[in-house]
Amino acid sequence: MSEEPGPAAGLLRAAARELADIGITIQEAAAHTTAAITDRAVLGALPRAPAAGCRAGRALLRAVTNGRGLGYAPAGGRLGTLAARLGVLAGAESLAVRVLATSLRLRIAAVALDHPELTGDPMLSRLIEAAAADRDLEAVRALRALIKDRGAVRTLSELAPVFGEVLALRALLDENPLNDTAAWQIATGRGYAGADPVTGMSNRAVAALDTGEGAARRTGLTAAESRRLSSHGSLLGFLGNIAVIGTTGRAIIQSVRGPDGVVRHVLQAPGMRAGQPDNASPQDLLGAFSSAVLAGSPYSRALIKAVGDYGLPPGAELALIGHSAGGAAVMNLAQDAEFCARHTVTHVVAVGSPVDFKKPADPRTWVASVTNQHDIVPTLDGQGAGGCFDLHPGWYVVDYFDSTHLFPICHGIEHYIANLADDLPEARERIDERFAPYRGPVVRSQAYLLFDRVPSPEGFPFLTVPTYPADTPAGTVELPIRCRDGAALTAYFAADPAAVAGLLDESGLGPAVRIGGRSLVAVHAAWNRRTSLGGYHELHLGVVVPDPWRRGAGRVRPELLRGADRRRSGSLLAGSVVDAEIVAAVAPRLWGGEPYQAPLEFELGAGGARVVAGGPGDRILTLGGALGPGLPLGDRDLVGYARHAGGALRWSVRTRGAGRAHLAPRVRLTVGPSAHPLARRLRELGLDGARPLLCLSAASRQARWEAGVPVLLT
Amino acid sequence: MPLESETIAAQAEVLWSDARALTECADRLREIEAGLEAGGAAPGWLRASVNAHLAACAEAAADLAEAAARLTHYAERTGG
Repeated sequence: MSEEPGPAAGLLRAAARELADIGITIQEAAAHTTAAITDRAVLGALPRAPAAGCRAGRALLRAVTNGRGLGYAPAGGRLGTLAARLGVLAGAESLAVRVLATSLRLRIAAVALDHPELTGDPMLSRLIEAAAADRDLEAVRALRALIKDRGAVRTLSELAPVFGEVLALRALLDENPLNDTAAWQIATGRGYAGADPVTGMSNRAVAALDTGEGAARRTGLTAAESRRLSSHGSLLGFLGNIAVIGTTGRAIIQSVRGPDGVVRHVLQAPGMRAGQPDNASPQDLLGAFSSAVLAGSPYSRALIKAVGDYGLPPGAELALIGHSAGGAAVMNLAQDAEFCARHTVTHVVAVGSPVDFKKPADPRTWVASVTNQHDIVPTLDGQGAGGCFDLHPGWYVVDYFDSTHLFPICHGIEHYIANLADDLPEARERIDERFAPYRGPVVRSQAYLLFDRVPSPEGFPFLTVPTYPADTPAGTVELPIRCRDGAALTAYFAADPAAVAGLLDESGLGPAVRIGGRSLVAVHAAWNRRTSLGGYHELHLGVVVPDPWRRGAGRVRPELLRGADRRRSGSLLAGSVVDAEIVAAVAPRLWGGEPYQAPLEFELGAGGARVVAGGPGDRILTLGGALGPGLPLGDRDLVGYARHAGGALRWSVRTRGAGRAHLAPRVRLTVGPSAHPLARRLRELGLDGARPLLCLSAASRQARWEAGVPVLLT
Repeated sequence: MPLESETIAAQAEVLWSDARALTECADRLREIEAGLEAGGAAPGWLRASVNAHLAACAEAAADLAEAAARLTHYAERTGG
């Protein structure tokens, strides 16, 4: 573990800095010469002194093309830039580029003193030497050999300390004129590498794809997360909080009572969220990119909204802590003059973040940057371990390395926490000293879910409906039950007509819809993954009955395609199972009758379906097998009836989501050995071992359970 | 056109200044190498690189001085 470079490394970095300055001087001379060649006055005066003018022109041209002097060095202005790019395409080099290349090689030499593996490892050394010497073919072969030997991730990790320098060297010396500006930025430390040093593609153009005004919504933490949150302000405590909320699209704000009794506030922002490069969260890959490259991004704007919602008192002090993209995002807040006019940003700590070219709007803001030299992410702005420029003399910079060279492990917040806890005690204590006003008990914590743009209410508009409380034996619940994400399977069977007639006896409903002399019954199972009552499974057995007032099987089939609001037929409930007590308690309000409570399993995938009711020792049924090809089907509402005093209770489940109709399912229903009433009923119906006539499936749906409505049948 | 000649003369003056800067660059390069050698930190390849840069700086300084001189003469011819 080391933070401080040795004296030799210091000398090399100072020399590299001086060489970069010399390169800039040479480039300015080349630009002045180019400007003279293209000056209108120089050209316009030619008719009056053609001989002298031509001699001057030739001398100027020689100065910017002499391979033994400035080299091929047109620079500046549109013509100069065009000529320079054409020259790069032809492989021509300028003296300024050669001097900058020497500067970069000295930076690599400086890093190699701290990282002897870079030069001691023959494969790494071969790659770096080839890249530095502009030997393309050899560089490619060396890179291939390295990747083959160690894999891409390890190669990247091992190169990380000199990643920016190697890329800049390649870009300076290659024949691609589009990446030269980025290489100059890295080599001279004059700004953010505005383009990819490999391809020359504009980083800003890529970052501009990340759009959105940013939004933040209060969100809760799980009990386990809340228990793990630090209850006392400290650097490790705040970083630990970032680890607790993880890369889940959230950030957290805490208030701490300092030793002086003053309550101050701390915004803690995690890094990039895994998954799609661009999703609804600003903590995606594009968000990480734009937070690093641009002064404002959806991530930083979402954080501003979170701070606004949190409600800081006027003049309250605020510290900002971020990891990875979160560090870049909080630095964007610190350099936002409007934000700093509203809030007193006292501290910023960026861990593993590319923040070298960001600058707080308030010069009194204390900034600390903690970076592991093998971590690629902080070098994304072109400045890494080999940096030789003091870009921010007022900052507290901890740029260290340890024995863990593997990315992304060395980038993880847990790894940084472990390093600061065990290996960098001085750095930790120094930062904690500066954090003294924030070192006290946490008096408030609020997590926020962040978005690129204001999100529509979940399930909008289908689940945006009026709600009302309903008392149940298990407490008050909110109706209708709204399911944001679920899956369902309905299987229609031909059952024994006599047994079915017995079920309908004195119900006022029926006769059952018949097919081929047998009665139609339905087994409906659903996994309601995210509902207003939590996640649960349900299973229902029903006899398909026609419109109670216009009986006739012929009317049922076209009705099955109708929504619940226009459907008159339905399934008379003959038994239900749920696996959640609260659902069992509210069931009489929803679909009448008391459901059984038993374990339920539900799987639905491309390969088929599997529904299991009852535990291993008391199996009620198993419905499983291949569903076969499916025809696309729209929303599949469910309508049912239940026996109710003096009539029936009509209930319905409204659904939204794509479904499929499987006309030749190879699913089989197997009734278990259980003495459960539902198992007995299934056997009576002759369904043990039966195959369904038709299955309807929905792998992903939203659903709404309304309270059942009593209807008079006589 | 006195204005054109003044502009050309100004360009020449800039190039004179650049020629001097390039000469100073050569001195700075020597100092860099000497400093690293004295500190025992100079990489083996540095001397050859610095020597190449030194020679190029000297040649560039001469080229710039020549161009500045030609521009000065040109400005004088067009100024009359």
